[in-house]
Amino acid sequence: MSGPARYLDPAIIARLGTIDLKARTIVEGFLTGLHRSPYKGFSVEFAEYRQYIPGDDLATLDWKVFARSDKHFVKKYEEETNLTCHMMLDVSGSMGYGSGDITKLQYASYLTGALAYLMHRQRDSFGLIAFDDSIAALLPASARSGHLRTLLLALERIEIGARTNVAKPLHDLAAAVRKRGMVVLISDLLDDPANVLEGLKHFRYRGTDVIVFHILDPYELKFPFEQAARFRDMETAEEVAAVPGSIRQDYIDRMQERIAFFRRELGLVGIDYCQLETSQPLELGLMSYLMTRRRVL
Amino acid sequence: MGGISFLSPLFLIGAIAAAVPILLHLFHRKTEVVIDFPAVSLLKRAPVQQHRRRRLRELLLLALRVGALLLLALSFARPYLAGAAATSSMPLTVITVDTSMSMSAPGQMDRARDAASRAAAAAPSSHALALIGFGDTAAVIVEPTTDRSAIASAITQLNASASGTRFRTALARASEIIGTREGSVVVVTDLQQAGWEANDDGGLPDGINVEVISVPPPTGNLAVTSAERRDRRIVASIQNYANSEVTAPVRLFAAGKEIAKVDVTMAARGAADAELIGSLPAGGDAEVRVDDVSGYQPDNSRKVLLDPAPSVPIAIVVADPTGSTGGLYVERALKVAGNGREFSVDVRDGREVAKWTGAELSKIAAMFVLGTRTLDRNGREVIRNYLTRGGQVFVAAGPDVDPGTLADVLGTKLPFEGDPIRTAGATMIARDGRHPIFRPFLSPSGALGDVQVEQHRRLKDPADHTVLARFSGGDAALTEQAAGEGRLIVFTSDLDNAWSRFPLNPAFVPFAIETARYLTRSQSLARRSPEVAKAAESNPAATTVEEFTNAIERTTRAGVTEAQNAAREIEDRQRWWQIGLVIMLVALAGEALVGRRAT
Repeated sequence: MSGPARYLDPAIIARLGTIDLKARTIVEGFLTGLHRSPYKGFSVEFAEYRQYIPGDDLATLDWKVFARSDKHFVKKYEEETNLTCHMMLDVSGSMGYGSGDITKLQYASYLTGALAYLMHRQRDSFGLIAFDDSIAALLPASARSGHLRTLLLALERIEIGARTNVAKPLHDLAAAVRKRGMVVLISDLLDDPANVLEGLKHFRYRGTDVIVFHILDPYELKFPFEQAARFRDMETAEEVAAVPGSIRQDYIDRMQERIAFFRRELGLVGIDYCQLETSQPLELGLMSYLMTRRRVL
Repeated sequence: MGGISFLSPLFLIGAIAAAVPILLHLFHRKTEVVIDFPAVSLLKRAPVQQHRRRRLRELLLLALRVGALLLLALSFARPYLAGAAATSSMPLTVITVDTSMSMSAPGQMDRARDAASRAAAAAPSSHALALIGFGDTAAVIVEPTTDRSAIASAITQLNASASGTRFRTALARASEIIGTREGSVVVVTDLQQAGWEANDDGGLPDGINVEVISVPPPTGNLAVTSAERRDRRIVASIQNYANSEVTAPVRLFAAGKEIAKVDVTMAARGAADAELIGSLPAGGDAEVRVDDVSGYQPDNSRKVLLDPAPSVPIAIVVADPTGSTGGLYVERALKVAGNGREFSVDVRDGREVAKWTGAELSKIAAMFVLGTRTLDRNGREVIRNYLTRGGQVFVAAGPDVDPGTLADVLGTKLPFEGDPIRTAGATMIARDGRHPIFRPFLSPSGALGDVQVEQHRRLKDPADHTVLARFSGGDAALTEQAAGEGRLIVFTSDLDNAWSRFPLNPAFVPFAIETARYLTRSQSLARRSPEVAKAAESNPAATTVEEFTNAIERTTRAGVTEAQNAAREIEDRQRWWQIGLVIMLVALAGEALVGRRAT
């Protein structure tokens, strides 16, 4: 599949619906009118009718229906959302790594597209910031009907950048965002963990909710290399000669230590952290987003 | 200078297998792979040192694997230290120079040395050289070497002796040295006819070239062939080997003074007696000399003992002189030597040994120990002291000898194994027929192989003794070793007709006498007249080069077989192959250990 539609892979969306029925309800709730929203009764958006049951709030009775059918129905409403979401996509050199058919950047792009689709369905405002050590592409948040296509086209044009500097765009964006909203960071976080943490905290101090998708390739987690080789950094071109067998455990420990650090420290400041492997289904990411969104709302 | 030789050098081909791990190492050594990786910052603790360490480990593994294969091939090739100076594979030219009495005519040795030097200089540069001097025996004067100056220097030191000539012995020795390699032999000799002794063995294998350099003998020679005292006269027989009549003065010397002189005329190739009358001293010896300027010098004189030589005292220690194992056979055998005058034999009960005084002990030339059962502590100490202070002891390890107490008797532990072994008539085989003890058995009529032994003790073969003879089963029969300052000969069966019928065999008397003579050689030499050359050696008649060459017995490496047997014995003693295999196993264990750490 090519073109912008690649980011709307129907299979992804379909699998999202089949895995978690409630999630599908949230995405397409009021369009189908078949399922119940967990936020019913608090939204101005009509969701469904239900026969009155004694004990229901009389304020929810639809008197017009009663007049026409002489039956008591209660009106149910989906919560109307009005969220502004900024998606920050890391396009640094390290995101170009892929041990299988898909690189981390491709995976992150698919995830960004899927999230945008969901946000579009919910009429949330969403924007995109692609960055490496500076902002490579910026798409301000909007809920306009054509905005999704614009974002998907922007994703299509993204190229691998240079070195990672997560903290700087985070600080820049935190200073720029005025309205309380949500920030989605999609990155491999191969930067100084302390700097990354400081940048994310900046958002939290301003009351912005943050979800971090930590994208990792399976090889980054398991380091399954066998033959002695020189490992060249994809961003700095620094080389380290090593025998994988002799350093594997040390590397894995360090990687797990880093993951644990982010999970722990981000959790302490109320930032959701979701570690994704490029071999895992995207639904996990979407679900994490939806869970965070529900918490935000 | 020593060198390593191999009993089975063909197995060294297996060392080619050592190339396999090397080739695998080279072919599998891939160009260093460069992998683009995002999280290199997390690898920074994996230093290059690890990589270097792995390379070192790989080289160590390679070395261990190659080493193990090489050791395996080396072990199967059965290496041994041959003591040869030149490498065993190097072609060899052996220069053998006749140093017998027949080379003692004036100027003869000078010509021989010149010829040998020229032969050494003319030897191919790819050849190692060895030098043998031979007379009755053949001595390797310079082991195979590439140092030609050593050969040249040794040649200048060669001198004629008073010994006879034995060409076959020299050729056999040369053949031993050459072994299996390419070689040639240069013989510098006067081609004396008497040099081809019928009883000698020895020849050259096919393929070994022989160059004969003739040093012409003198045209004539005079020799004092006998001299004896007849009352107040000395009668000497003078032989003329020239083809013309010769008249020569014969003189008699005693106490350093000429006491008689007579001119003797001898016909061509004839002999004449010289009767010398003078004032002879009561004791000591006199010397008869004939003036012979151009002939061989050692045969121009002969000594005459003016008083009978004293007999050599020999003691026989037995457990019980009255019993059946009382040393009777040895005593009788020794008493017939030299018309009954050569040895004085004292058979001593083991219980009486302690009564020997120091003065008595010092006079005993040799001691035969046939029984130890009745030796008390003092008796053991007496024998031990006698042996370690330079005594000559023969032990027959028969039924009256207790191996447990023998160590106390001799001051050295003999490595006997277990109880006596019964064998159905084992025969005795001399390892080297040229040993003085076995010289009487060189001719077929004196075959030692007729001796049959039913029982003997098994003696291990440590490096500190020499096996002189073995039983047909391979066990040592007669060994010789140093013990302190003395010498010890051990016969592993008995000499009292208990475990064998050896004492009833015709070979027994010459065996006992020659053994006693061998043990008492130093004293006997001191009391006997000087060795005189064989009469045949005085005869300058020579063969032609062609006759000499034709007389050389060509063998199909028979001489080599002997060399190989000697090599096998050396290898058996050294057993380097076992060490090689042990080291190989250690290398393999190390390889497994290092290999496991590498994965």
